[in-house]
This record gives sequence, C-alpha cells and structure tokens, in this order.
Amino acid sequence: MQDKFKKMNKKNLIIALLLAVVLGVSGVWYFIFYRPRLPRDITNEDAVSVTSKQIVKEFQTNEAEAYKKYPTSKVVEITGEIAECGKDQSGHPTVSIKSDDPFSNVFITLRQSKQLEAKVGTKITVRGIVTGFLSDVLINEGVVTKQ
Amino acid sequence: MKKKVILFGFLSIIVSNSLLAQKLYTTKVAQIKFLSSSATEDIDAVNNQVDSKMTEKGQVFFNLLIKGFVFDNELMQKHFNGEEYLNSDKYPKAEFKGVIPNIATVNFLKDGAYPIMASGNLTIRGITKKESAAGLIIIEKGKVHAKSTFKIKLKDYGITGKDIGTVISNNIQITVDAKYD
Repeated sequence: MQDKFKKMNKKNLIIALLLAVVLGVSGVWYFIFYRPRLPRDITNEDAVSVTSKQIVKEFQTNEAEAYKKYPTSKVVEITGEIAECGKDQSGHPTVSIKSDDPFSNVFITLRQSKQLEAKVGTKITVRGIVTGFLSDVLINEGVVTKQ
Repeated sequence: MKKKVILFGFLSIIVSNSLLAQKLYTTKVAQIKFLSSSATEDIDAVNNQVDSKMTEKGQVFFNLLIKGFVFDNELMQKHFNGEEYLNSDKYPKAEFKGVIPNIATVNFLKDGAYPIMASGNLTIRGITKKESAAGLIIIEKGKVHAKSTFKIKLKDYGITGKDIGTVISNNIQITVDAKYD
C-alpha cells in the first residue's frame, strides 16, 4: 500500500516536472519570438537636441556623417516651425517641420492617435526615433514635448 | 499682324494646356507592406513613410527607407535590418522607378477603378532588377489612388539569410497602396 503510494507520488512528481519544463520552454519561446513591442520611453531617454534647419542641412551636406551623429536607433529632439500637419494611411498623425530648403523638411510620424492641433508656422518640439534620410529627414514614434 | 497675335494667343493656350496636362501626383505617406508566408509562420511589416510620385503620362516612382518597416516583433525587425538580411546600414533605401504602359486607359477625370500594369526597375539591397506587376488606379472625386500586389524572390536581391526557405518564404508578397495628394 505504502509502496504503491510512493510510486504514484513519484509519477506525479515527474509529470509536474515535465509540465514545468514545457511551460518554461514555451514561455521563453514566446518571450523571444512573440513578445509584443515594448514601447520605448521616448520622453525620458537621452536625446540629441537639434533644430529642424540644422539636422536637414547636416544630412544634405554629408549623409554618412549625419547618420553617425543621429544614429537610426537613437532618440532625437527636433525644434522648428510647423510646415504641415496630416495623417498617414494607417491613421497616425504626422507633422512636417520646416528647414531652410522648401523641398526638404523633417517629417515625423507621431505616436499619439489624436490629430495634431497646431497652426502652420508655430514652433514645436518633438522627440522621436530617426528612420533616416529620404528627401526629408524621417522620424518615427514621435512624441510632442513642447508646443 | 492682328492675325499673328490671335494665332500666338491660340498657340500659347494649347501649349499651356499641354503643360498643365502633365500633372504630377505626389505623396509622402504611401504604404508598402510585405508578407512572408511559410508553413511555420507569417511574417509581415508595414512602412507608412513611402515617398511616391506619379504622372498622368504613366511614370511612377517609389522611394523608401528599409528602416521604415515596422514589425510587431522587435527581434524580427532587428534581424530584418541585420547584415544577413536587408543590411540596412549599408543599403538604407529601396526604390522603384517605372512606367505604366497602358496609362492611356485611365481616365483621370472620371471616377472608376482602372486595371493597369507597371514595369520598371526595383532596387533592393543595392541590386537592381526588372519587375512588373498588375495593379489598379482608382479615381475617386478627383483623387488618385494606386494599388498593387506582387511577389519578388529574395534570392534575386542577394538576400540569403539562413532561415530563408524554412521559417521565411523564398517569395515575398509586396502590397503597395498609394493615396496621392
């Protein structure tokens, strides 16, 4: 009787252990491969502050150097005058900030879901992550810090 | 003399009209998605910062930054941009420059959905290849909207990461959606 009980206990223990291993492995698997994107704390991360005029000029003069100064994974803080507000095809609000060249602005896709209410020509400061340089300097995950 | 002035007037009207007809449609927020579908899983990403231009004569241009593709999964995005796959530090842009040979079938003044073909040069990872794709141009209340879905082979663009052929499909489906200003 006691023997049988012992045997069952051992069996249960093995099953429990196996379960724990399976859960553990699948948990790690999920964490690595399916973990949803954690939003970065853009407002409080270290950021290079620059005017829209300056960053556009730097990318136009020497793209390689500008990428070194404003790496694509880092947060930048852009200040300048609003050229245009809009939204992209997924519905994210966007804002263009003027440079000295009318054909090249800083174009920012914002994180907020509400359309940006700001007048063209007014000053704004936005933080975000540099995507790179096309005809505009493109920035993603923008957060308005001063308006 | 009077005749000449009238003639000149007519001529300038004709010339300016034909110049106006060469209208340029642009957007900075065209959307390009891609999808890799394999037995193991579907991987997709979207780029909402695509620069595109189109003329009524059927010239089309798309320009984007590889780093503009956003994945739900951060690790996947990192791998995608890594050296083994898109190597976006070295090749930050992708571009398509082409023509729509049957553009004449599109009536830009009349609402409707017009089937088109586009063909041209697609550049990804520094490699340029001829591609062609079927699509639609939709005219609605004076606005121009272009759509297309086509497939490309990763191998053609020198993308040979170790998961291609298993987790990642050999052929990637690209969906283009451009609502012009």
